Amino acid sequence: MGRKQNAADKGGQAIQVALPADCRLAAQGALRAELLGALDAPATVLDGREVARVDTAALQLLTLFRREALARGGAVSWLGASGTLCEAAGVLGLAHALDLPASVPA
Amino acid sequence: MSKVALAQFQQVFVEESLEGLDTMESSLLALDDGGDAELVHTIFRAAHSIKGGAATFGFPEISSFTHEAESLLDEVRGGKRAIDGGIVGLLLRTVDCLRGMFARAQAGELLDDATAAVLRGELAAAMGRGAEAGAAPASARVDRAEAWTIRFRPHPGMLAGGNDPLRLIRELAGLGTLEVTAELDRLPALDRLDPSECHLGWTIALRGPASRADIAAVFDWVEGECDLAIEPVQAAAPAPAPAPPAPAPVADMAAARTQREAGGESTVRVAIGKIDGLINLVGELVITQSMLDTFRDGVDASRLALLEQGLAQLARHTRELQESVMGIRMLPIASVFNRFPRMVRDLSQKLGKQVRLELVGEHTELDKTVLEKIGDPLVHLVRNAIDHGLEPPAQRRAAGKGDTGTLRLEASHRGGSIVVEVSDDGAGLDRAAIVAKAVQRGLIAGGDGLDDEAVAELIFQPGFSTAAVTTDLSGRGVGMDVVRRNVADLGGTVTIRSTRGKGSVFTITLPLTLAIIDGLTAAVGEEHYIVPLVSIVESVQLGAEAIRTVAGGGELFRFRDEYLPLVRLHRAFGCPGAAQRIEDGLVIVVEGDGSRVGLFVDGLLGQQQAVVKSLEANYRRVQGISGATILADGSVALIVDIAGLVRLQGGRKAA
Amino acid sequence: MAKILAVDDSASMRGMVAFTLRGAGHEVTEAENGQLALDAAGASAFDLVLADVNMPVMDGISMVRELRARPAYQGVPILMLTTESHTDKKMEGKAAGATGWLVKPFDPEQLLATVKRVLG
Repeated sequence: MGRKQNAADKGGQAIQVALPADCRLAAQGALRAELLGALDAPATVLDGREVARVDTAALQLLTLFRREALARGGAVSWLGASGTLCEAAGVLGLAHALDLPASVPA
Repeated sequence: MSKVALAQFQQVFVEESLEGLDTMESSLLALDDGGDAELVHTIFRAAHSIKGGAATFGFPEISSFTHEAESLLDEVRGGKRAIDGGIVGLLLRTVDCLRGMFARAQAGELLDDATAAVLRGELAAAMGRGAEAGAAPASARVDRAEAWTIRFRPHPGMLAGGNDPLRLIRELAGLGTLEVTAELDRLPALDRLDPSECHLGWTIALRGPASRADIAAVFDWVEGECDLAIEPVQAAAPAPAPAPPAPAPVADMAAARTQREAGGESTVRVAIGKIDGLINLVGELVITQSMLDTFRDGVDASRLALLEQGLAQLARHTRELQESVMGIRMLPIASVFNRFPRMVRDLSQKLGKQVRLELVGEHTELDKTVLEKIGDPLVHLVRNAIDHGLEPPAQRRAAGKGDTGTLRLEASHRGGSIVVEVSDDGAGLDRAAIVAKAVQRGLIAGGDGLDDEAVAELIFQPGFSTAAVTTDLSGRGVGMDVVRRNVADLGGTVTIRSTRGKGSVFTITLPLTLAIIDGLTAAVGEEHYIVPLVSIVESVQLGAEAIRTVAGGGELFRFRDEYLPLVRLHRAFGCPGAAQRIEDGLVIVVEGDGSRVGLFVDGLLGQQQAVVKSLEANYRRVQGISGATILADGSVALIVDIAGLVRLQGGRKAA
Repeated sequence: MAKILAVDDSASMRGMVAFTLRGAGHEVTEAENGQLALDAAGASAFDLVLADVNMPVMDGISMVRELRARPAYQGVPILMLTTESHTDKKMEGKAAGATGWLVKPFDPEQLLATVKRVLG
């Protein structure tokens, strides 16, 4: 996992958050901290392309993040999402809330 | 699973469950007597096993019904609810209802009935939720539907325990097509979220022919860790269309039920120890057989001793094997005794008497057939003891006895017999009342000259009753005469000893083995006779020259060093078409009452176990015949009473 | 395929479990009591833990409780291998943090089905 901030991000305020390959409960303390830091950014780009394992806790965290960021006037978009991530969002009825395609990799 | 295999497991499951219900009942009764919390666990475990098994083996109605009881028990177990007489009573009726459901399951009938519907409501009410608001009334609970709505809200701690809703919903998808709506209303603010807690909820529309049990099974590990509601979606159409083609599993179950009905074989559960004993004996037989096999090429004098030893072993093992096989039919009387705690509790409450029940010798084993038939006479004796024998507390106090009466059931082996005693420390027989009643009934002219024993015998007379008030317990049309007759059918006797003011003892004495004999089937003309194996010495073929006719027309034949009477069975019993010439048939040498005779028959058909049916009960007593049995082809064969025949023919004392 | 920790003091039981799971392509580590299981769980990350209830040194219930307290094992499925006669143990196991249970006796097919169920 990592939080990539290129030069443009620093000045231009877009924050990119890369989700780890194993994006399950044990990883979520760190992810939550990172997402909290991105809450007030005008734009957040989530990178879910590497996600190979995911659980309800992760999707709950992402759903909550997106909802709060949007409420604060920020923008949340996906750089990409793995098939695993999209499928899980679909199963949990969260695809819409996460703005993910119901299935099929990005 | 194949239908046959399924039917087998269903049968085993039903038997297990009936045992579980017995355990539940006895534990509930003990709990009512102030038993400890472990009993609640025991009851819960039994209910839990029944619920789980019922779902597995295709009785969703039983599973869902038991689930209601289990939920109530779970609350008791968790300390959320105190157990009281009301709950014990409710659960006892639940046990009865489940017994009924299992009986109907075995008969292939519809499982739910009005009682079950009422009890479902009561169990739900006891848990304080009544009929679920907005849902169909409890009696109309649907256990199989084409579409379901599932409301699932995990408690926050569920995720940490490793149960991920993602997995659970995926599993549900295996039952049909899903439409999942997530409920986000309880999500906290991100900065207050503990990521290990779940604050989501789901409403899931499931389309597909699933049973409630199928759905509940998905959530079995998270019971108590989530709020869960499973509701069938009722068809919008007013009248349901003719049932759609049943899904495969249902058809399977139905077929399995039918299969079992058709089979209808009763089964015996056998202690592993007995089976191990049999296996050991068979092992011994195999060893003996291989030893004897070495004589195949001939016997020389040097090895004669070895041969004799082998044959003796063979005889011993065969006899032991026979005893062991018969032993498989022997079951502990506990299964009959176990019904009494409940009955005594109910009866004594109804009559306002205090009764302590003592059960002794529950492990005493009886033949399965006897066990099935001894229940009714015992029930009658117990009922009689509580109804007529034991006094109400006030009367007991007046007689200088404790308020609580003692009723004791004791089973034991005595010599070659099984003795079952029903004793009470009640009032004992009232000689004057019995004599008065007997005179009134015209059974006797007066009591003078009758000793106590003779007076006691009067109660066994048909139509006799001494109850001053006719309770709903007597008046069932069953008197002591019926008890005596039932016991006599089993080859047993009932006697009574009674002391005024001290109590009564009814003693049932039953032969150890009676229902089954091993016998050789012999043909005589068109008839078949069974000759008990134990009485057979040998069978020989004789020539006409071996027969001597003596004065009076009797015939003797030479057997070894003695002359034995010859009984031509076709003459003794009047069978047409039988062999007349001695060389056309066989003579079976039998021994009875210490004497030997030869039975002349046409031939031997083979050895078999015969279930003895009383000839007296079904026809009348016939000399020389001890009973009858039904052969495999449905025809009746008579069982030869060797001792009777020997007496008839004046057989010679065995050498 | 998953990394699975199989904990049972009975060598035959543990052997059956490990043999079956390896046959299905899983990587199995065996431990014969709760304490050894905790050591193994600290040295390596597992996707699933299967644990007997009654074991010497440290029983399954205590093991689950300790394992669950470790952040790395939050949410990791832990199944108790229990007997039907110990329904209360199931509940005790659940209270300690177990995910679910597999009732003994089970056959290899049931084991694989349950493992498949829990691993998704």
